[in-house]
Amino acid sequence: MKTFFFLVSLQLIISCTFAQVKFTGRVTDQKKMPLSGANVFFQNSYDGATADSIGNFRFKTSLKGMQTLKATFIGYKPLLKQMNLDSAKTITLDLILQESNDQIDEVVINAGSFEASDEKKAVILRMLDVATTPSAQGDIFGALCTLPGVEKVGEDGRVFVRGGESYETKAFLDGMNVSSPYLSKMPDLPTRGRFSPLLFSGTLFSTGAYSAEYGQALSGIVDMKTNSIETEDKSSVSIMTVGVMGSTTKCWKGASLSLIGDYVTTGLSNLINKQQVEWIKNPAGIDGTLMYRQKTGKTGMFKVFGTFNNSGSGLNYMNTQSGVFQNIILNSSDVYLNNTYNSMLGEKWMIKSGLAFNYDLQKFDLDKDQIATANKTVQAKVGFSRFLNEQTELKFGADWVHSSYEQKIRMGGNYRLPFANNQLSAFAEMEYKLSKKFATRIGARTENSSLLKGTTLVPRFSGAYKTGDHSQLSLAYGQFYQNPEDDYLKFAPQLKPEKANHAVMTWQYLTDLKTFRVEGYMKKYSDLVKYTLPLATDPLDYSNTGSGHAEGIDFFWRDKETFKQTDYWISYSWINARRNYKDFPVAAVPNFVSEHNFSMVYKRFFEPLRTFASVTYSFASSRPYHDPNLQGFMNSRTQPYNDISLSLTYLMEILGKQSVLHLMVNNLAGFDNIYGYNFSNSPNAAGHYESTPIKSPYVRQIILLLSIQL
Amino acid sequence: MKALFIILVLGTLSFSGSSDEAYQKAMSQSIEQLYQAKSIAEYVEVANQFERISNIEKTEWLPLYYASFAYIMISFQEPENAKKDSYLDQAQKYLDQAMIIETNESELYLLQGFLYPSRINIDPMNRGMAYIGKMNGSLDKALELNADNPRVYYLRATMTFHTPEAYGGGAAKALPLYKMADEKFRNFKPKTELSPNWGKEINETELKKLLETQK
Repeated sequence: MKTFFFLVSLQLIISCTFAQVKFTGRVTDQKKMPLSGANVFFQNSYDGATADSIGNFRFKTSLKGMQTLKATFIGYKPLLKQMNLDSAKTITLDLILQESNDQIDEVVINAGSFEASDEKKAVILRMLDVATTPSAQGDIFGALCTLPGVEKVGEDGRVFVRGGESYETKAFLDGMNVSSPYLSKMPDLPTRGRFSPLLFSGTLFSTGAYSAEYGQALSGIVDMKTNSIETEDKSSVSIMTVGVMGSTTKCWKGASLSLIGDYVTTGLSNLINKQQVEWIKNPAGIDGTLMYRQKTGKTGMFKVFGTFNNSGSGLNYMNTQSGVFQNIILNSSDVYLNNTYNSMLGEKWMIKSGLAFNYDLQKFDLDKDQIATANKTVQAKVGFSRFLNEQTELKFGADWVHSSYEQKIRMGGNYRLPFANNQLSAFAEMEYKLSKKFATRIGARTENSSLLKGTTLVPRFSGAYKTGDHSQLSLAYGQFYQNPEDDYLKFAPQLKPEKANHAVMTWQYLTDLKTFRVEGYMKKYSDLVKYTLPLATDPLDYSNTGSGHAEGIDFFWRDKETFKQTDYWISYSWINARRNYKDFPVAAVPNFVSEHNFSMVYKRFFEPLRTFASVTYSFASSRPYHDPNLQGFMNSRTQPYNDISLSLTYLMEILGKQSVLHLMVNNLAGFDNIYGYNFSNSPNAAGHYESTPIKSPYVRQIILLLSIQL
Repeated sequence: MKALFIILVLGTLSFSGSSDEAYQKAMSQSIEQLYQAKSIAEYVEVANQFERISNIEKTEWLPLYYASFAYIMISFQEPENAKKDSYLDQAQKYLDQAMIIETNESELYLLQGFLYPSRINIDPMNRGMAYIGKMNGSLDKALELNADNPRVYYLRATMTFHTPEAYGGGAAKALPLYKMADEKFRNFKPKTELSPNWGKEINETELKKLLETQK
């Protein structure tokens, strides 16, 4: 009996062991579309199956008891299901997977911003596009000038965004302030950015309504992201008609060090390219950059970026205002050091922190007079972000900037104009993804300045809604404060910050190969600095009573698909802007605003010739200027601006080394662009105010570069 | 009675012992299937098998290695760029997991060196330089860990062959590399039956093709 009982139970055990449960079913998304290729399996065995072309699956398992079924598919959240396998023989299941939010086709908050990135997928520009835009001559800010929303201001070279002055667009490096992003500037001549685009893997350029993380910018921000860890030792040397350059990179496990140095001298170039100005000392300078990257732990990254620049130039400058020629000698030194540390803290927290230091000294010698301006900035910043759940991310942070300014003037006596400021800021922002189609971001920023003795608090908002597989509509609104320029604060520290409100609406269609974007915006300025006389020294001459507005529409089209090995983009901006600020007697269009700006960049690789060719055409409609010989204010207009620039890059080998020969020609057609006029302060004997046109320093500029990878 | 009990116990023991056998069997079948796969569906099928195996064998890097390899192969067949990238993201995910399990494996660095250039074709003008640098870094590391890994030589040869002469590539430079790879493949013995052992045939085919065009 005992044996019999035992045998029966053994039988039972055996039959149970081999009794398999059959599974059938279908895997679909929330819209009931089959997910062909989904993986359906039990977590405790190899048993499972792949969904077929109509989403059906079928498999058997010998598992028993409570088990966990798992279904996975790329771009979808894994599905886990507990089930008891003891009683059933056949189980039919309908599995519905939910899309995960980290997919590339999800909605992205981007109203007002253009992103160039080598890391992210859905971006409008890559850093190489920036480096190879001919009219930019290798300058990041120059390349941004081919994007909509930026005015062409030939005699300045800096970025003027949507009816705002150049100082209203702030530069950041890995999220930290760069207080002097441009090289020092001679009067009426263009400057360029300090940094080579090759140092960066991405740039976020926002022409309005940006995140609460950024402050102290009324019009725009440019946040440059430095390269990550290098993975390969490499060195290169370049010889240019304007100097020499060398770089070397060394890698270790989890770390890399790059050193870049150059010596720029324009003596030869100014001989080759006919100059329309008289140099008494050709511009020359020396630059050095160090980049060190170190991985710390699993997710941490420590970056050091240090750079110095020393440059000088001398000009025999026709000072039309006073009617005399002046010898201007400009010498400048700049040191910038930036350390950042980013890491995950556990699973859900992330920290971004940084320390930055900037010292900038500019010395102008005007005949016997001298003006020396020194600017020192120290910044400490820390920010945290936390994922509250898959849809919600909370970001907050604080930022301390100490800046001290000192101008020493020797002009028939010695004068000192110093001031210092401690700026404390904090921001918080929450991004909420309601679905794959709809996202919002709400934030606020507060700033306190010890110099201006006041605290500001501003809201920022943006939202985006996907209108199709590749298209989306975005809206953004924000308020922005910026301290008045140093040139006013040095006389009048009682001023308040200037203020701007932005509202932006964007519709964008973006695929890998084509982009179309249209953006409308409205901008309102208040509390702008106003004075009765330029360079007035009486603090009471300055007030925050200025105002202004700008409205416009920007279009952008890029196509890498239609023509073989060809990539082109077209930007067009229309703007209507008026300001009553500075010493304006009435509201008027400022002289840097042109109503229509158009640019087209065309790039093509000619494979049989091993040559990469790029052409830029830029057009800007006429700009206003004030002619004291005529009635009224801002009563005259310049001719429109035209420029065609070309670059050719030829790939070759020299002694078995990869080499590149690069030719850049600016203003190929030799357009005689006039940006405006300088008028004398007092009329001549005939009662006429004499004038001289403001022009480019050269008619045409040709630069040749040979770079060899060692 | 006692004897039965012992048999039962032994049975259970051998059953638990057979888990390793099951792994060997499941892996060798899947690897076979992987090398035979042609269409996206076939690759997905086999990648899913490896995913299921890796889900249980949490200390083995090989299932993740093969799952990653399968997704790289899928990316070559996929015509749409955005999807290519998401397949390569998936491949990278498996590879990252494998690298956590086994930090010093030449084959994993080799696979990383195979994955990086796969991203180039999606946008050669912009990605070329960056990913070639990354690839070289990974291949150097793979070689450092195993100077005789034939797949490193094969990948170097292939990359050189497909690089324009202007960039220091071309058939003439690739030929000695293919020959070198061929020699390495001839002397190569995989560590275990399940260890990576692909590339020999394709290297031979490429070498033969190249030698014929040279005649």
